[in-house]
Parts: sequence; structure tokens; C-alpha cells
Amino acid sequence: MATSIVVVGVGGQGVLTLARWIGEASLSEGYDVRIAEVHGMSQRGGSVEVHVRFGKVVYAPIVEEGGADYVVALEAVEALRAFRYLKPGGVLVVNKRVIQPPGRWISEEELLGSLQRSGVKTYIVPAADVARELGSVMYENAVMLGFLSQLLGLPMPPSLDDRNREAFRRGARLPV
Amino acid sequence: MRLLLLGNEAIAYGALASGLAVATAYPGTPSTEIVETLVEFRDRFVHWASNEKSAFELAYGAAVAGARSLTAMKHVGLNVAADPLHSAAYTGVEGGFVIVTADDPWMHSSQNEQDTRWYGVQAYVPVLEPSDPAEAYKYVKLAFDLSEKLRHPVILRSVTRVSHVRAPVEVEPPAPPKWGRFTRDVKRFNLVPANARELRKALVEKWEKIAELSADFITVEGSGDVFIVTTGVAYNYVKEALSRLRVDATVVKLGMSVPVPRSLRNLVGGEAVVVEEGDPVVEVQLRSLGVATRGKLDGYFPRYGELDTGKTALGLSKALGLPYSPPQPPKPPIEPPPRPPSLCPGCPHMATFYILRLATAGLSPVWSGDIGCYSLGINLGQQDLITHMGSSVGLGAGIAVAGKHFVVATVGDSTFYHAVLPQLVDVASRSIPLLIVVMDNAYTAMTGGQPSPSRAIPVEKITEALGLPTFVIDPVEVKKSVEVVKKAVEIVKSGRPAVVVSRRPCALVAVRKARRAGLQLPRYQVDPDRCTGCGLCYNLLKCSAIYRRPDGKAYVDPALCVGCGVCAEVCPFNAFKPEGRREAWLELWQQA
Repeated sequence: MATSIVVVGVGGQGVLTLARWIGEASLSEGYDVRIAEVHGMSQRGGSVEVHVRFGKVVYAPIVEEGGADYVVALEAVEALRAFRYLKPGGVLVVNKRVIQPPGRWISEEELLGSLQRSGVKTYIVPAADVARELGSVMYENAVMLGFLSQLLGLPMPPSLDDRNREAFRRGARLPV
Repeated sequence: MRLLLLGNEAIAYGALASGLAVATAYPGTPSTEIVETLVEFRDRFVHWASNEKSAFELAYGAAVAGARSLTAMKHVGLNVAADPLHSAAYTGVEGGFVIVTADDPWMHSSQNEQDTRWYGVQAYVPVLEPSDPAEAYKYVKLAFDLSEKLRHPVILRSVTRVSHVRAPVEVEPPAPPKWGRFTRDVKRFNLVPANARELRKALVEKWEKIAELSADFITVEGSGDVFIVTTGVAYNYVKEALSRLRVDATVVKLGMSVPVPRSLRNLVGGEAVVVEEGDPVVEVQLRSLGVATRGKLDGYFPRYGELDTGKTALGLSKALGLPYSPPQPPKPPIEPPPRPPSLCPGCPHMATFYILRLATAGLSPVWSGDIGCYSLGINLGQQDLITHMGSSVGLGAGIAVAGKHFVVATVGDSTFYHAVLPQLVDVASRSIPLLIVVMDNAYTAMTGGQPSPSRAIPVEKITEALGLPTFVIDPVEVKKSVEVVKKAVEIVKSGRPAVVVSRRPCALVAVRKARRAGLQLPRYQVDPDRCTGCGLCYNLLKCSAIYRRPDGKAYVDPALCVGCGVCAEVCPFNAFKPEGRREAWLELWQQA
């Protein structure tokens, strides 16, 4: 049985990087892994969606709608868009951050509140706040990864630099 | 060495391990990273060509001379190279020649879906189809060996979910490049009718042999009277769908999907379910062998988009008459508002579009667009047609001669060199009234910033040589540029063509360079006392770093602003204020 994760966010947020880290961590645990990336058009400020599957043996590189164990959103509007991937009992992990879509302003309270009331098991991770404490939004993804490591049972991937390692540890200590 | 590689990287490493000497490409998603990976290897000849035909010819010529060569492109790119592809099968090659095409089912970054395997059928070129990165690595090596053995070109067909999937791949070190030496053979390499007729006969005979060889690429798994024939990425979905459906079946995987092996008919006993990504290419071939099939032709699997495990399980359950209930996706608590891809914050050509709108006010132009970043001008209402590389000037000229429209043809610099030069000759020689705007950002930016020829060969040198009146602007100087473009507009109104070259490099590249140089970018903020909420910046300029607040006033996201200052240039109320100075930044940017 493979674990299926859909990682989403906005172009430029480092969605690919986070997905790759999950992949590296899985590989270092001896799992087979597939990461289905998107390039080109989707890099330009649009929605980005990367699928990660790991397990003893993995065949399919993409997750079907209603097939994800986890949806990990680096941004809350994109969490709504990826909602359809969740399978019954699937878990949503959302970075507490909103990047406003063009032409409409949704308040953070409205958005996060609606996710928490949706009936889906939802974790809201203050990764943006922790990253700011560490000095840069660049560390958001490592905080998210640290938090996820608690749910997925995966170790820290080997390629993180010192600042990201610190961010990972902070994420790994956030209460689940 | 076991690495977590992208399918395209795996193809590059496989080619290196095969003694690749020459690699060429024009970048295009999802094929770009193949040659991007190879560019690092300086002991080979690796080249970003001006278009796929040029790329194909370079690699084909090298293979004719005996070198191991590879050319890579996306599916629509092969159309550009279709002419030499068909000749390559007639002459064959001496060194291994592998054509990698990456198809893009469901058009993640393309203008149409196209199944490259039809070209294999039509051009008599065998097609190998890997199912994942590890197999892509293996198959590129097989493709080189097969090509050299047959002295024939071989297509390696990838799709988005092979090229852009990362998976563990066992990699060997690169082998020394295998160069070549041309041996004269006039009857073989001169495709004049007398020679080509002989070669055509030989090609048809060779094709029968290749169809037999195709059997070497079959793998059979499982058991049972139900036969499922599959190939490429579809194999993965079949494997997972079968375990979900709990059914015993014999899975026949074709490594070579064109031509299908004749022996397949005996193997599957006259009936099979066919699962493949793209068009029913294997299915049509199987029916021509007299095998009864259930697949896309009868609607068991969709004829558009990508397969996944769910669609495959559903199709198999219908084809085999098995019970299956697909998972029900949950509904989000709020319907997510769309977030379409848009020009990057600080993209200089967001300003070019704005300048064009002001300079053509009242003319209601037809906006004839092109492939690449500037197709995103669609969000600005400034792209009426985008059909293929080069359509801007090509179709724009047609619209101009068809009626009394004022036509603006917008094209990026890379596309300009790729597909617009011959059309320009026609526009210039017949003096077709058209405003041609080249948005020069010095890179092939949408595919990640490969070099374009524009710096070595400035666009205006070419258009001036063709006798086209040409104006050069820097788009961040909005007001000045509007006045210059108006001069070009007057020329077109008088019934002649004119060219505007709007030049400023890609903001993404410039920001990266500034960061490396330790330069602090200026950031713009809105003075809420001055902002009247007129909406010029977020409704007309449409900078994607500027939002409309609930009270109608503008807000700049500091994480997105790159300090181009165009908002300050266009705001009539002087509401945008910079933090930091702009001059040094604009200077470095222009050199990026």
C-alpha cells in the first residue's frame, strides 16, 4: 500500500522543493517513491500541484480524485482547490497563510474557519510565523516538512542546509 | 549510483552512458530538462537550437556521419521537424539516432494533445515507450543500440507523467562520446526521385523486420484468460487497478508500441483489452492484425486527458463486466476562486501590453498572439488568437489582408527566431500593414530561461535589413514608450508594416542575479491617503503583486513586488512610493 500525498501552493512558493524533500526522506527510509511534478505554465503565479506517492512498491505516479491520504497546502486558497483529492478519512495540512487570488479578497479567518468546520481532519500549521521568527519566508517549507514528519513517520531528508534543519526541528516540535 | 531522478534527467543520463556525442533541442514543456541536463557535459556537442527542425537536422546529420546523437522536443515540436523526420527513415543513419518526444496529455502546458506514435506509424520509425524514469533510462540505451543495429532512427516517446516524474534510478557513469566520420553514399543520401523510389521499397521491407524485432520488447506478467495489452505510463495504472479490482489477468506490456509485433495475435489469442495513454494507436494496429479489442475505440477509456488509476479501474471494470464503485471526491467548504497563471510580478512586458493599449486606443486592434510567456496576455484581453509557434505574424498578416483591421502581432524573442523569420519576409515583401511587437526578454523564459539568440543577433538588425521601420523601447519607461509606439502605429495606419522591439530581460532571471550580487531591490507601497481606488493598477495594468482591498484601494504584496516601479509610472495620483532606490537595480536588470 502506497501513501498518497498531494502538495499544493502558488508558483514560486517552493511546492516542488517540499515534494522533493518528502521524496528524499522516503527514499532514505528504503521506500519506493514517485513524484509527479508540473513545470512550465504553472510556474507563473498560478496554482501548483505536485503528487507524491511512497510505499514498498509504487506504480502510479499520480493520485486520483478521492484518493489522497494527505493534502498538504502551502497556502489556504489552494487547499480548497485540492480538497477533491482527499479520500474518506484523508487529512488536510494547511500552512496558515493566504495569497489572495486575483479579483477577490478572502479573509484568513473565513478561509481557515471554513476548513476547520469542513468535517475533514485539518491541521493548521503556523509555518509562516515560525519562518518569520527564523528570519525568512524561505524556511516555511522546512517547518511544514518538520510538522509532516510527525504524521508521516519520515526522517529529515539528508540534503537540508543548517537553517532549514533548524526550521525542520521547529516544525517537528509543533503540537499535533 | 541510485538517484532520485526526473524522467528527463534519466533520459539524459541514459544517453551519456550510451556514448552520446551530439544533443540538440528547442526547449518545450515537458521535454526541456533532457538537454538542460546534458548542457553541463562539455565534452559533447550540446546545443539549444532556434527551432526543432534545426535541432533535428543537426542531430540527424551527425548520425548520418556515424556519431551517436539525440534530439529532444515536445509533441508539437515534432510537427516543426516532421519534414526531415520522414526523410530520415528513407536514408537511415550510421550512428545511433534517438528522437525523444514528450507528449503532454491534458495539455498542462500545450496548445493541443497529440500522440507522437502516429508519426512513428506514418514515417516508419519505431517507437519505444518507457513507463517510468528507471525504464526511460534503460530504454534510451536500448534505443541507441537498436538504432545503430538497424541503422534507422528510433523515437523514444515520453509523456508528462514519465518526463516530469521523479523516481529512483540506478545510474552508471557516462561513456566516452562516440563521434563519427561521413562516408559518401550518393544513392542513399540524395533523395531525388530515382533514389527515393528504391529506398521506399527497402523501407517497407525493413519495416516488416522491425515488426518482428518488436516482439523482443514484450514483457508478460500475471496469468489468466483475460489479456490486457498496455504500454508506457498506462502500465502503472493497470497494475494498481488490477490489484484494486482483484482480478486475474495476463498483462502484456509493449516496450515498442510502433510497430506492434505480429506475434501478439498468437499471444493474446484473438482478444484483448488495450490500455494506453493518448490515442488508440496500439489498438488500431491490433485491430489491423485481426485481434478483437476493447479500449478507447469503443469508449471504455476516455479519448482525452490523462489516465489515472481510477479511470483505468473504471474502464477495466466496464470492459470486463466487473463490479466497481469509484471513490467519491469531497466538496470544498468554499468554491475556490480561480488563480490563472499570469505574467510574473515585474514582468517588463506587462508594461509593454499596457503601452500598446494606450498607443492603439480607439483602434480596437485584433491582437494576434503567440506561444510562450506572452500568451498570458490573454488575462489582459490582449490575445485574440494563439494557435502555434509563429502564429502571431503568420495569422496576423492573413487577418490584415482579409479586411480593414488594425492588427497587432505580439511575439517573444525566442519565438521570433523559432518561427517568425520566414513570415516576416512575406510581410516585408508585400508590405502588409501590421504592427509587429517583439517582446524581447533575452531568454526562452517560460521553459525556465534557456538562452535565446536575441543578444547575439539583435532583432532590430534583422527587421531593419528587411526594410521594416523599427522602433526600440524600454517598457519600464511607460510614458516615453507610448509616444514612440504611436509613431509606429501611424505607419501601420498609412498601410505599411512597422516593428516595435520592446527590450528588457526576464524579471525572474534579473531578480536571481540581483540576489547573487547582494543588491537590495526597491519595494513599492501604496499611500492609502493618496490612493483613490481608481483601479488602474489592479484592473488595467494587472500587476499580480497588486491586490484590490475590500475598500477598493490598492495593496502591494511585499513578498511579490520586485521594484520595477511601473505602478508608480502609471498611477495618476502618485500613490505608489518606493522604499529604496531604483536606478542601480534597473541598470543591473537591463544587463541580466
